[in-house]
Amino acid sequence: MSLLMWLFVIPFFSACVAFLLPITGKNLKKIAFVLSLIPLALLVYGFPDLIGSEVKYSWMPLLSIEFYLKVDSLSFLFLALTAVIIPISILPVHSSTLNMPNFFYGWVLLLEGLLIGFFTAHDLAIFTLFWEAMLIPLYFIMNVWGGPQRHQAAIKFLIYMIAGSFLMVAAILGLFLAAGTFNLETLQHVAAAGKYAPWICAVFLLAFAVKTPLFPFHAWLPDAYCQASTSGTILLSALLSKAGIYGILRIGMGLFPLIMKEWSPFLLGLSIAGVFYGGLAAWLQKDYKRLIAYSSFSHVNFILVALFVWNQTAEAGGILQALNHGVTIAALFLVAGWLEERIGTTAFGKESGLAKYMPQLCWLTLFFVLSSVALPGTNSFIGELMILFGLFVVNPWQAAFLALSVILSVIYMLRWMQLIYFQEPAPFQNRWVDIHKRELCIAFPLILLVLWIGIYPAPVLKLIQPSAIKMEKTQ
Amino acid sequence: MNTVLSLVDFAALSPLFVVLATALILLLLECFSKTAAKKYSLFLTALGIVLAIYAAWAAPISHNPLLTPWIRFDDLARLFTLLFLSIGLGAALLSDSFFDRFEASRGEYYFLLLSSLFGLILVGSAADFLTFFLGLETLSVSLYVLCGYMKKWQISQESSIKYFLIGSLAAAFLLYGIALIYGAVGTTRFDALLNGYKALTVLSDQRLFLAGIAFVTFGLAFKAAIVPFHTWAPDVYEGAPTPVTAFMAVGTKAGAFAAFTVIFLYSLPQFNVLWNECIALLAFPTLIYANFVAMKQTQLRRFFAYSGISHAGFLLIPLAVGTSEAIPALVFYLAVYAFATLGAFAGLSFLETRQEGVMLSDLKGLFKRSPWIAGLISICLLTLGGIPPTIGFLAKFYLFKIAFQAGYYSLVIVALFTTILSAYYYLRIVGIMLSESSTKEEIHPSSWPAGIVGFVSVIALIFFSFFPDNLYRILF
Repeated sequence: MSLLMWLFVIPFFSACVAFLLPITGKNLKKIAFVLSLIPLALLVYGFPDLIGSEVKYSWMPLLSIEFYLKVDSLSFLFLALTAVIIPISILPVHSSTLNMPNFFYGWVLLLEGLLIGFFTAHDLAIFTLFWEAMLIPLYFIMNVWGGPQRHQAAIKFLIYMIAGSFLMVAAILGLFLAAGTFNLETLQHVAAAGKYAPWICAVFLLAFAVKTPLFPFHAWLPDAYCQASTSGTILLSALLSKAGIYGILRIGMGLFPLIMKEWSPFLLGLSIAGVFYGGLAAWLQKDYKRLIAYSSFSHVNFILVALFVWNQTAEAGGILQALNHGVTIAALFLVAGWLEERIGTTAFGKESGLAKYMPQLCWLTLFFVLSSVALPGTNSFIGELMILFGLFVVNPWQAAFLALSVILSVIYMLRWMQLIYFQEPAPFQNRWVDIHKRELCIAFPLILLVLWIGIYPAPVLKLIQPSAIKMEKTQ
Repeated sequence: MNTVLSLVDFAALSPLFVVLATALILLLLECFSKTAAKKYSLFLTALGIVLAIYAAWAAPISHNPLLTPWIRFDDLARLFTLLFLSIGLGAALLSDSFFDRFEASRGEYYFLLLSSLFGLILVGSAADFLTFFLGLETLSVSLYVLCGYMKKWQISQESSIKYFLIGSLAAAFLLYGIALIYGAVGTTRFDALLNGYKALTVLSDQRLFLAGIAFVTFGLAFKAAIVPFHTWAPDVYEGAPTPVTAFMAVGTKAGAFAAFTVIFLYSLPQFNVLWNECIALLAFPTLIYANFVAMKQTQLRRFFAYSGISHAGFLLIPLAVGTSEAIPALVFYLAVYAFATLGAFAGLSFLETRQEGVMLSDLKGLFKRSPWIAGLISICLLTLGGIPPTIGFLAKFYLFKIAFQAGYYSLVIVALFTTILSAYYYLRIVGIMLSESSTKEEIHPSSWPAGIVGFVSVIALIFFSFFPDNLYRILF
């Protein structure tokens, strides 16, 4: 079997192991963590030969579906993000209090396999299959482990997602009828020619817009992010939203470039509105988990701005920012989760001045907050700068306006820091212990990524370049 | 003319003979020794069905003019025979765990089950309206009795009498339709129907024929529980003993659609667009109504009634499409549905403790209490919901594809919409099994025959999810 096939199959085997192993507790967590690291190891080992490799089997010849996976540089970046985030989402779990641990690790590993399949699928039917299948582990992760209103949040999430993509099957059948194949490479040349191409494009766009989410398809987001457990929120914010972005890049830009270009002013307007809506909503929150949820929404729309600007620099910045957002938002939810464990609430106003008792957690949080608000030297700075630069070339006024959102993000993020960590210290409580070395170790790879991309982004940008150039060619 | 049946002809009919002979032996056994019947009924039934499966697989094709006007020996008939026998085997093995809990005589039960299986096989391989009707009635009469098999259960009595009344009404319509068709074309043979219809030149004759077709469709729609002819199904399913419900949900449904396939896709392919459009019109309410109502069910037998009706809605899609790809798509879907439903019932059969059957609330926390049973039920439910990456998704995808190619866009869109609803209620059940429960009572698979059904169906579902092409190759 080729390396790519191993990469695809191993998470599924790992998931089976996690489901079926008759052990619980710490050992199971260790095993699950090590299993989740295998894809990362394979990616590191296979770089850069993996890019360009493909797997092709005839899967269901009757329906002309091929099992066709292929890694290009775009896929590789998203694969790398998946491989980094999945182990990190396993780590904050407390194995002593986790309910039904086998299922939790099993679902997470299964999600990893489905995401790897999704990010590499080059057959539209398989792509859709993974797209829909991804919901199942996420639904269960949200439904079983999380806050008190998790059942409602999970159902709401599920209904939004399925409603967003229920016509997708009809859309791919429409494409199949026109082209006689599900192969994405062949479809590239014929997809946009069909009579119903705008409709088909709209159906795909709706599905991706709901999952990302693009303003105004975000109603599921605050509840889902708040009610899910820390791990669930990390998976949702860092990986699921990227699936939507990847979908827009792969299907929207890949199959229907001209239609997307025609619609881009409208979509650009929506995403700029989303950036500000998310920012303002985050400012008004009385709960820091909701605050981060809205900030994530705002930043994701920032990425969408980049995709809809239709400029090579902005596009590259958008892809980079998608990775950055994955890293930063995972880190923010991680530190917010630790804070929640210690103070027992996610609401503002009860506790304050915690920097006095938990200085390390405070500085760690501040570091990731600064990364989120795009301080120079952190990863987001590079991404947002490229996006703003690209937008400036196209329309300086819009760029100037969008730049205001950076200020907005500073306001709401520092408000969180101010209300919780600084201000007058509240009386000490026993459970307010600072983070340990173990937690620092979990955060360490994220710190490293933030600084690496912030200070020396060239290697990543080199990987991004081909997909951005490809986009410009199609114009 | 040859008037003697040779050995080949008997061999060709052997699946029917084996089933019949086993049924009669069981009845005799029950007469002579109750204890032996209790001990060996299941074994004998399983053995008989396995033999019949082998016979169906190895049977030669008969060309004897005494048989061919009545019974078909083609690939489709063989396929349906094998499908029905497998369903019958599953239902028979499932019944074992039921009899572990509730005391009732077994010989008669398996006799009735085999009789209905005999009827099913006859429906699938009929070549004439008369043999077809004979098969359908054999199936139905046995099922009327089976529904009320637990004589002292009040819900079963209601179920049985309701099924009997509505079933006889449907049979009357069917028979009347057959009479009208005979009146129009002068034959009841399937292979002469299409030419007979095409040869009709007088408008009134054509109308007579179409009226007959309408009545036949009407009768079959009753049997298949298609909205608005479905009202009996929830009550009957709710009241019947669980293994009987399983057999009805899978076997009768498969039988009714086999009948549809044989008459309308095989013998009368695209004879009149009007019929296809009527079927499409039936598919809309079936899909929408059943899926909406299924969301509110709390008794699982009743839930499976509605879920079965909604699957009947999906199965109507290939009938409405009626192209050459319709038969494979329909059989593919039917096979997946049969595996998944039997598997789910196998899981439920372990949980059953009272006559009302399993309620939704009984499933709470099942994953913690009995992860294997919960896993089995979940995989089957996810398949029924058509949730990727299970084979259920591909089965639905296949239906949508042929419908799309034939231009039934609105049908595809409505069907896709209803898959959202079905995903909701199937996932809700899985969610309930994952939730916390108040009881800590663990449930272990109590009967190994039912365990085998569950195990085989799950393995098959998982295997075919990864290699769906193999299922297609096995079927065709």
